[in-house]
Amino acid sequence: MIWQLDIVLLIFIVVCAIAAINIKDLLSAVIILGAYSFFMCLLWTEMGAVDVAFTEASVGAGIGTVLFIAAVNKTSRRSKD
Amino acid sequence: MLEYILAKYNFWIYVILMMIGLYAMMGKRNLVKKLIGMNIFQTSIILFFVSIGVKAGDATVPILKGDGHGHGEHLIQVADYLNPLPHVLMLTAIVVSIATTGVALATLILIYKRYNTLEEDEIMAIRKDASSYKTQR
Amino acid sequence: MIKNWFKLISLIAVTMTGALLIYGTHDMPAWGDPNSPANSHVSPRYILEATQKTATPNIVSAVLADYRSYDTLGESAVIFTASISCLFLLRRIRGRKEGEGKI
Repeated sequence: MIWQLDIVLLIFIVVCAIAAINIKDLLSAVIILGAYSFFMCLLWTEMGAVDVAFTEASVGAGIGTVLFIAAVNKTSRRSKD
Repeated sequence: MLEYILAKYNFWIYVILMMIGLYAMMGKRNLVKKLIGMNIFQTSIILFFVSIGVKAGDATVPILKGDGHGHGEHLIQVADYLNPLPHVLMLTAIVVSIATTGVALATLILIYKRYNTLEEDEIMAIRKDASSYKTQR
Repeated sequence: MIKNWFKLISLIAVTMTGALLIYGTHDMPAWGDPNSPANSHVSPRYILEATQKTATPNIVSAVLADYRSYDTLGESAVIFTASISCLFLLRRIRGRKEGEGKI
């Protein structure tokens, strides 16, 4: 538990979340959501929850991003807000 | 005052993350944006639960030292290991959140096939046109 | 503009929810407190007894697969339901052309 690393990771996570919901291009938003998931996984490793971090890296950041990209590929990348 | 902030700032940042997700679910018109907001919301709540089990100080990951068969055994102290219960519960929650996201994305592909758009207001306009067309006939 | 009006309403609602939750953190125990209620009731038993009862060094997998394995069974039922519903939603109906059934 290192509090400097904790603060830096939390700031990265908040910036990634704000960017993911504000970008107009949906594919970029989904990729930023994947980066958000990996930062979250790093934060959990730093908190000592290694099993949760492992599951998040494989399931949340891996399969989730793949599903989102497949869906965006089948529909449209355009977004008005 | 500083002590209070140091003890609580983590919770405040989790609340901010939850607010970002909730705003994306309520205020954005695009359906994929709503799903991204739902994901952020779920992750923030999982983060809150995991952080409940943190013990500041010398506690390490919940894997026992020694091989579990009596070799290299030492006295187990509760304060040496993190709380494993929130980790177990949140493992289940992560998998369930991915399941809901998958079903939602499948529904979203069907919506796009039918209406050819993902914007909520355009979908509502198409539905209104269709219903007025039906009543005219 | 009706759209901005709606966004303003949702922003106010979200801010009120966040303020209530931040007010609620006043009663939470301090972050990382080793003696908080969550850390001092059920989990000490798992930490102390897991290695004798299940012979697994990793407490998380011991709890996941031994103490709470019905939970994991229910989770796999959830995944099964999700995959079956995805299959039914995305299958192609035979004999129906593309664009039929549209409004």
